[in-house]
Parts: sequence; structure tokens; C-alpha cells
Amino acid sequence: MLRFWKDLKGHYRYAIFSAKASLKSEVASSYLNWIWWILEPFCFMLIYAFIFGTVFNAKEPHFGVFIFIGLTAWNFFSRCVTQSVKILRANKSIVTKVYIPKFVLLISRMFFNGYKMLFSLGIIAVMLIFYRIPVSINVIYIPLVFVVQCVFTFACMTFLMHYGVFIQDLENVTDIVLRMLMYLSGIFYNLETRMPGRTGTILAKINPMALILTSYRKCLIYAQTPDIKWLVIWLLVSVVFASLGMRIIYKNENSYVKVI
Amino acid sequence: MEEQKSAISVRNVCIDYRTITAGSIKQNFFKIKKVKQEIFHAVKNVSFEVPEGQILGITGKNGSGKSTMLRAIAGIFSADSGEIDLHGHSISLLSIGVGFDKELSGRENIILSGMLLGFTRKEIMAKMQDIIEFAGIDDFIDKPVRTYSSGMYSKLAFSITAILETEIMLIDEVLSVGDQKFKKKSFGKMQELISKKDRTVVIVSHSISTLNALCDQILWLHDGEIVMLDKPEVVMPVYEDFMR
Repeated sequence: MLRFWKDLKGHYRYAIFSAKASLKSEVASSYLNWIWWILEPFCFMLIYAFIFGTVFNAKEPHFGVFIFIGLTAWNFFSRCVTQSVKILRANKSIVTKVYIPKFVLLISRMFFNGYKMLFSLGIIAVMLIFYRIPVSINVIYIPLVFVVQCVFTFACMTFLMHYGVFIQDLENVTDIVLRMLMYLSGIFYNLETRMPGRTGTILAKINPMALILTSYRKCLIYAQTPDIKWLVIWLLVSVVFASLGMRIIYKNENSYVKVI
Repeated sequence: MEEQKSAISVRNVCIDYRTITAGSIKQNFFKIKKVKQEIFHAVKNVSFEVPEGQILGITGKNGSGKSTMLRAIAGIFSADSGEIDLHGHSISLLSIGVGFDKELSGRENIILSGMLLGFTRKEIMAKMQDIIEFAGIDDFIDKPVRTYSSGMYSKLAFSITAILETEIMLIDEVLSVGDQKFKKKSFGKMQELISKKDRTVVIVSHSISTLNALCDQILWLHDGEIVMLDKPEVVMPVYEDFMR
């Protein structure tokens, strides 16, 4: 644990800089540049809003923001997780040439996706104003929800990075699991109203992503207090899993190079 | 020699590769039944010391464990048994283009690469001008690296590692990059870097002339074991005979 903080302190600058660098390089040769980071989620929101709002006739109030908050939080999670499976292979040129604590690569990815998420948050703010949704005191819970999300994401990433090295088709499995989780998390429907009763509650609580999405929405749209008890439970669970993941990584760190 | 402090101590180091480790889930299921793993011993029970300020050359035929040894010293992977002690020195493996991103400009890649080698941004900025000058690629420094010719690419990469110095340098046959002029310049720089008094260097090379010219000691590896470890005058004639 101590080693984790020491390594983090020593390398976080690199993590931030390399995240910035990859952001820059991603848009370097495109015409619209960083505008894509706004345009992309926005267009997806329109698509989902049309399909689920018009075709399936969903009756959520403020459906646009509703979907957009879900998408923003989900995209961060799913991108981080997908990228972490192949992260060591993708950074082969670095990993085989210098020593770097391997989790730093994960942190860098989180900054990378987090930065994109900032853009989406900006759009959310604009949309909130546009729909004239009043801001409530519950906004103060957002940092808590965000921390839960980050730690949970990091925990998932550590395990996927480790097993991704040894099992090559893990990527296919993650794809399927992520897709399933995406539909279960209620990005374009409200879990609590669509699935009332026991099943709905269970699905909403034991799936951390669903819990996180609902919490964000409660804070931002409905002016309600999120389910603090479950958030804290998931925070603790995530911390435990993240430390377990870190232990595995530290233990195997030096054998990754031999395999990739 | 005995009273000199060691910069690198390698004691009884063994390094193994397990040949079937990465596989598909299907393979992993089958492995439960037959756990027989092929183990390849790349380095077997090697021990040596490099005193501070000395230059050690490692040579041997392909696949004899030279690069593996070098990477283990650099800390990229750990030895399976035995230990490697650097006595607290900073170390870098001189390698071309670590962490380069082809879409970014040369300048940004210098920072990126430098940070990976363990320097702070300030230190890199202080040496930035030297690096750019040494690489001699002028205006291209602000253009994306993907537009570079392969010669410019390696010139820039070499300059980064040559100018950002560490106490121990590990070199894996990269002494010849660029055109004739740059080759001369880089070889000169190499010699200058290497011959600094307090610097310890480990070079892996096949080039007999390089090793003869630069090294204080030669370590000859064969199939992961030490064949000879002595002064170049002693080792090189035997090695040349062997390779013929």
C-alpha cells in the first residue's frame, strides 16, 4: 500500500502528461479536433433519445439529460475497462524498455477518459440550464459518487490488465459482459420505474454501475439524496478489490514483460 | 581493483522464460490437465561485479542471454533467483524512441520520453535545447514525428538518451544511427559519455572493434553461462576464434 502511494507520487506527472499527449495525438489529424469530444456523445444522445423516447415511447421527464448523464458516466467506465485489457500489449514499446510501475499506465488511461468526460459534464451543465432544472443542495454528493465510480473502475482495470496479459481472448469476454451491463444499468430507461419490486431493487443495488448512474441522476435532476448506504458499501468493496488487484500486479509486474 | 566500489553487483542470477504462458482461454482449460510447462533458462547462475566508472562489454552469439541480462539489470524484469544490486545508482537502458507518439511533435516526444526515463519536466526543459541541437533536425522539431524520415527519427531518439544522462548506462547495440556524419558525431558522443570518470557502462555488442576500443572488461556469455570474464586482450582473441 505504501509502495502504491510512493509510485503514484513519483509517476503521476508522467501519467498526466502522457494522457494529455495521447489526447492531443488522437485529434491531431482530424478536422474538427476536440469538438469531437462534445459532438460524439451528443450525437449518441440524440440517437438514443429518438429510439427510446419516440420509438419505444419512454416517458421520463427531461429525457435528453437523463440519457446524457447515463451515457457520460457509462462511457468513462466502459472505455477505461475495454482499454485496460490490452493496455500492456499496446504499450509494449514502453514496457519492454524502461521500468515503470504498471498501474501508472492505468492511471494515465483514467485521466485520458476523465478529461473527455469533463467535456460531457460541460454539456450536462448547459442542458440543465436549458431544461431549467433547478440545482439542489444534493449536488454536494456528486464528488462522493465520482470517487466511488473511479475506485470501482480502477479495481476492474487492475484485474483486467493482469489477466489480459495471460489470456488473449479476455477481450471478447469483456465485450459481452460490458454490453450486458450496459443494458442492465439503465442508461436509457429508469430501472426503478420500469422494473418495480424486488428484482428492480436488487438489480439497481448490486450492480454498481446502475447505482452510480441513478445516484448521478438523483443529485442532478430529481433533487434527491442518493443512496448513501449503498454507495459507501460499494466504495469499501471497491477499495478492497483495488488493493487486491494492486497486490497481484505488484507480484507479477516483472513477468509481464516476458509474456508480451 | 579490489578497493574500488562496485556500481553493479550481480550474484547468482538465473532468469527463466516459461514458453507457454500467454494463450487463449481454451488453452488454459487444457492446461489444468497437463500442467507441464516448458521452461527455458535464458541466464544460468551468472555472477559478476562492475566497479564504478568501468565499462563492461557483454558479447556472445545470438540468443545467449545478453539482452535478457541487460534488461534484468535495468529492472525491467526481475531475476528468478539471485540478486542484482545497483547500490543506489540511477540507471537507464539506452534504447531508441521509448514511448514515442508519432502524431506528436519532436519537442513533446522529448518530454514524454524523458519523463519515462525518470527525469522531471524541469530537468528535461533545461536540456531541451541541447537535445535539439545535437539531433540537428532543425525545423522538424515542431512537426509531428510521423513526418520524419527514419534517419531523423533515430537521430532524435538517440539524442534524448545521450543528453539526459544517468549514472549507469546500459547500451544494447545502438551505436550506429543516422548518416555518416551523425554516426561519427554519435560515436564521439558515446565515447565522451562512456569515458566520463564516474560513469559505469554496460555495452552489449557483436562488434569486436567497438568492444576492443571501449571496454575495460568483457563478459562472454554462451547459452546463458559465463564462458570468460576478463580484459579484452584476453577474451577477444579466443572469442574471435570461437566465432569463426
